[in-house]
Amino acid sequence: MKLASGKGDVDRCPYLDDQARDILGSSTRPPIRLVKVGVGERSFPIGEEMVQFRHEKTFYHPPGMMVAVSDLWTRDRIQEVVARVRDTVVVRVGTDQRLSGVAIRHLSGDPAAFRTAVEAVEEVADLPEVLMAEDPAVMEQGLAVCGHFRPLIYAATEKTDETMCNLARDYGCPLVVKADDPGRLPDLVERCKGRGVQNLVLDPAAPSLHQFQNISTAIRQQAITRSTPSLGYPVFLDAAATGMQEAAIVTGILRFASVLVLENPDQASLLAFLTLRQNIYTDPQKPIQMTPGIYRLGTPGPDSPVLLTVNFSLTFFTLQGYLEAARIPCFMVIVDTEGLSVLTAVASGKLNETLVAESLKKFSLEKEVSHRSLIIPGYAAPLSGRIEEASGWKVLVGPRDAAEIGEYLEKEWKQ
Amino acid sequence: MGLQTLSSWTGQIGTVVLGATRSEGGSRSISYSIGGERDLPFLGSPPSGHRPLVAYEICDDLSIWPPVIREFLKDRIREPGAWAREAGDQWKPDLIRLFLTSTRKRDFRDFAAIRRTVEEVLQQSPLPLIIEGSTDQAIDSEVFAACGEAGEGERLLLGTAEAGRYRSIAAAALAYGHAVIAQSPIDINLAKQLNILLRETGVPENRIVIDPYTGALGYGFEYSYSVMERIRTSALKGDADLAMPIISGASDTLTVREVREADPGISQRVAVTWEFYTALSSALAGASIVCVRHPQTIPLLLDAIDALWGGAQELQGVRGSHLPHVRHETCQWQRRRGPLPLSG
Repeated sequence: MKLASGKGDVDRCPYLDDQARDILGSSTRPPIRLVKVGVGERSFPIGEEMVQFRHEKTFYHPPGMMVAVSDLWTRDRIQEVVARVRDTVVVRVGTDQRLSGVAIRHLSGDPAAFRTAVEAVEEVADLPEVLMAEDPAVMEQGLAVCGHFRPLIYAATEKTDETMCNLARDYGCPLVVKADDPGRLPDLVERCKGRGVQNLVLDPAAPSLHQFQNISTAIRQQAITRSTPSLGYPVFLDAAATGMQEAAIVTGILRFASVLVLENPDQASLLAFLTLRQNIYTDPQKPIQMTPGIYRLGTPGPDSPVLLTVNFSLTFFTLQGYLEAARIPCFMVIVDTEGLSVLTAVASGKLNETLVAESLKKFSLEKEVSHRSLIIPGYAAPLSGRIEEASGWKVLVGPRDAAEIGEYLEKEWKQ
Repeated sequence: MGLQTLSSWTGQIGTVVLGATRSEGGSRSISYSIGGERDLPFLGSPPSGHRPLVAYEICDDLSIWPPVIREFLKDRIREPGAWAREAGDQWKPDLIRLFLTSTRKRDFRDFAAIRRTVEEVLQQSPLPLIIEGSTDQAIDSEVFAACGEAGEGERLLLGTAEAGRYRSIAAAALAYGHAVIAQSPIDINLAKQLNILLRETGVPENRIVIDPYTGALGYGFEYSYSVMERIRTSALKGDADLAMPIISGASDTLTVREVREADPGISQRVAVTWEFYTALSSALAGASIVCVRHPQTIPLLLDAIDALWGGAQELQGVRGSHLPHVRHETCQWQRRRGPLPLSG
């Protein structure tokens, strides 16, 4: 039973023969293999995705955003970028969003320069890496420096797969396989597996964004339906190489790329793609929640209005936006409805008079304001009487639509 | 290429025609068909259906327009007609979306001014036009009648009908031959319900465009994204009540905190980036029209949509032949055609 529901692993049964294990394994194993890049705190898993559309379940493992450096650059220039990748944090709705690692490109033609570049990266940070060199002799130079930190090796082609597989196997690294015709990827994957490398990533080497999104969709579909099990691996996209990085990042995040290589992004771009990645990889069944408590807009005083709402982030941000636009300093009291919206929280009973009364007390709201008036959402109107009784606060029923809150406060809020 | 997608859909998105050229009874320089897809957005070579369009949003009262746009345009904004013409010439959007924000004032009654504004925009700009009328039921009837009549024969797209507020707009669309935007609050069932209501009122399905409401990136965008994908897949599975093209304009995008509180030095760039990410993601989710307010976003989006749509030769017939574009003149992220940037 555990096996069928995906909670147990077929390898843990000692009584199965190899053939039975293979059959059982292939029908219970996730259709896309889980691959880990890097070691330590910043390492990240990719793959193990189950669906084509996030609304069907969720997307599990956000793509790694790997910032490129070149072995033509000076040490300082490389290390500046690496330090930025190491240190950049964007805090959004309570979670830290970060760049994932560094991609080191071999462009110099000199294997020693590649080694020096990898050393320069390693001096600054223990970040996950992609080693990008098509010549196995050059790759070996890089692996000699960081090979035991599980960098992603880029890439094995039909010409180099034997030596690249040997390197990946010896160092225990994940390996990108790249075929100029994506139709040949399944064969190449089987060859690499035959050489003992299981942790693979696919680069369909698409010549355009149009082609990338077609091929990546095809790979996802064929993988999750298990119609071509050899395509059941995460997908790689060199967004910088497309010449239109921003569009490629959007396409990659939305169309199943698990590793994206990009040029050092500016602040605007970084904010936007970290946010898009977070949005798309949010579990649709577990809405992002606000921490319950008192939130101040402007600098409210003891006679400022108090507005109650739920901790569904979208409700919060919508109301907050309109309140800021209204330019009336006020308090927002956010109660814990486990991320449900007003309508659903009222319907399910999660938003009730006990929760409101207890929250007001817990947040010590009576110390913030001199009045005892509480504005509740329009959709919570049926609770108004009971909230008054349970909390002792006078309840005013606000509008149903947050867009009307400014006008409502102007008209109704007179102290 | 050697890998095929496995989609096998039975449905098709309906087609809506926007704008009317002289030979079609209007005065536009071009008319567009939107919709028509038989597969997911941009899939197939060439993709099915019609390429998504980029609409540039303007208004007739700037007091509620995003500060970042007012700062960018400065004295270039005079009145909507000249604004539409200049933006069309310089930034090459596919169409214009005019918000009659003047109607949001309390006790607004100057319907003759609305009519003059619409006539002025139609006279000055040759592009097909979307008009966002009032948002107050009390004046809907007069506002939409004024817009509808002023644009008779031009096949406008009138917005926005909502459940409980759709009769005036439907009446104006039917009387003067326009299409209607049907907006529902990020809910596939409500979207479907409103389409049925509109059809019962007499609006044919080839004159309905779905607006599932788009939250800004970082502010609920993922809900809108998934609703658009669900509407699209439901339609492709054969649900005719959802088989209309989608319009997406994340109108809160330029007032989100990231844009409002950006360093002055990069605030314009953050605005453009935020709009670009939201709009391109919407197009990938299935929107046939994406709307933006920062003019610099327009060429970036057109480029990205072209790249997703496919080869340069295909472009000629669709967009290029009608509107010889001189894109890029002030575009920040010009498409690079030289060697990889890292080689230097």
